[in-house]
Amino acid sequence: MSPCRRMLPLLDAFGDGELSADQSLQVEQHLVDCGHCTERIRLNEAVRVSMKRAAPVPSAAFKARLCAALAAERQREEHPSERIGRPLSWRTIAPIAVAASVALAFAAARPKPDTMGAVAGAARASLMGHSPSSSSMQSNAASVTATVEQLIDELVTHHQQGSHPNVTEAALLEQLEPEVGVPVRLPSLYGARWEGASVLPVKAMRNQRAASLRYSVGGHRVTLYVYNSANVPLRATLEPRVVYNTPVYVGERRGYSIAAVERRGVGYAVATDLNDSESAELVVASLH
Amino acid sequence: MTRRPSPPDDFEQLALEHLSSLLAVATRLTRNGAEAEDLVQDTLVKAFRAREQFTPGTNMRAWMLRILTNTFINRYRRGGLERAVLDGPDADPLADGWVSSSSMAALRDPETTALRPVLEREIGEALRELPEEFRLAVVLADVEELSYKEIADVMGCPVGTVMSRLHRGRRMLKSRLYEHALEMGIVGPEKVVGHEPASTNTVDLAQYRARRVKVG
Repeated sequence: MSPCRRMLPLLDAFGDGELSADQSLQVEQHLVDCGHCTERIRLNEAVRVSMKRAAPVPSAAFKARLCAALAAERQREEHPSERIGRPLSWRTIAPIAVAASVALAFAAARPKPDTMGAVAGAARASLMGHSPSSSSMQSNAASVTATVEQLIDELVTHHQQGSHPNVTEAALLEQLEPEVGVPVRLPSLYGARWEGASVLPVKAMRNQRAASLRYSVGGHRVTLYVYNSANVPLRATLEPRVVYNTPVYVGERRGYSIAAVERRGVGYAVATDLNDSESAELVVASLH
Repeated sequence: MTRRPSPPDDFEQLALEHLSSLLAVATRLTRNGAEAEDLVQDTLVKAFRAREQFTPGTNMRAWMLRILTNTFINRYRRGGLERAVLDGPDADPLADGWVSSSSMAALRDPETTALRPVLEREIGEALRELPEEFRLAVVLADVEELSYKEIADVMGCPVGTVMSRLHRGRRMLKSRLYEHALEMGIVGPEKVVGHEPASTNTVDLAQYRARRVKVG
């Protein structure tokens, strides 16, 4: 058997650094004399380099999506009694006051009071500076839930009335920012046509203001609300869902559907007469 | 609310350090970027759930690649890898004579630099056309630089099988590259096969496919 024949089966492993010292030495000695096998090694190396060069780079958007997925997973793990789509921002963004009010609302709205009671209790204790008693917690929870219900009702009513928008130029939208307290941009909702914007004082939230952006899509009126999600905890009584990997809070009131998402402390909610899945898709589109 | 530390702590951060590796492998396994991203996301979530099973101090990247591979096989290829083929007898491992030194030099370093991207693209396409088990072995070894032992762990097969898959996979790649270079006139036609005659026509995507059709 010629030296090349003996070496051939070793060349791959040699290039991969998988040979014993003895074998490596044998191959190296052979390579000194054999231009052909040297060329084989070089070609293997060149192919390897080419393959590496074509490696994709993870986009920032993809990284953000993964972080959100892992955060949701951790959240789920820490609160196993709940369904997916719990607020992602508790730990990082939202002030403890929101945590307390949302937790209280959940405690009242959901049939699993054990874990949520504890959470609400802890949050409330830190707020109030005393240990919670279950009766005051219950009543507080009930009042928060009632407030959020009233809030949703206000948003649906505003949408239903379709009052005339007072800002109709996109360039003027940023003037709403001081009133609303969060950045107001003009998201494009698939093929929807933007008709105008106004500012809506939300009575149920002590007149905290939300921007109301009106769109029209295929003959349906769509209202997109933009607000400080720390002050308007819409998600508290809506049903959590995941749409395109984004947690969405969805509900229906009086034949209208409402869907809310949050990102970086800004809440976006749409009210439409479309069905709830369509509203959920629209509101997710507002994030992009 | 404070964050409850979950061992190993800061799993997310550690895991995301391997994101490029996971995406590199996922991209080669799947058909498009969206599918690759979904596969990586599935992998990360599974790894997160199973993080207590990870032994600190061992190779986390290899551990996650194993999860990725299993996820891919289970979810995207319900039938598993193409066992019928990979359990079949390997082609004569010595039938590897291949082409002349000058042709190999032209392949790895074409005289016209403009041709290099063309050849690189060709390698990318050839890789995509490799049967999965070969492609996976080649990517894990050449792109991710895992050891044979680690690849064996990831793919759930003996080291010997890894070597055979690597060898065959790389041979198919180079053969395809050579054919393409021949078409483009980067190398000339030749009958020279190594230093001594080995069985001709060593590589055989076409043969493989024909066989695969019969098997399937």
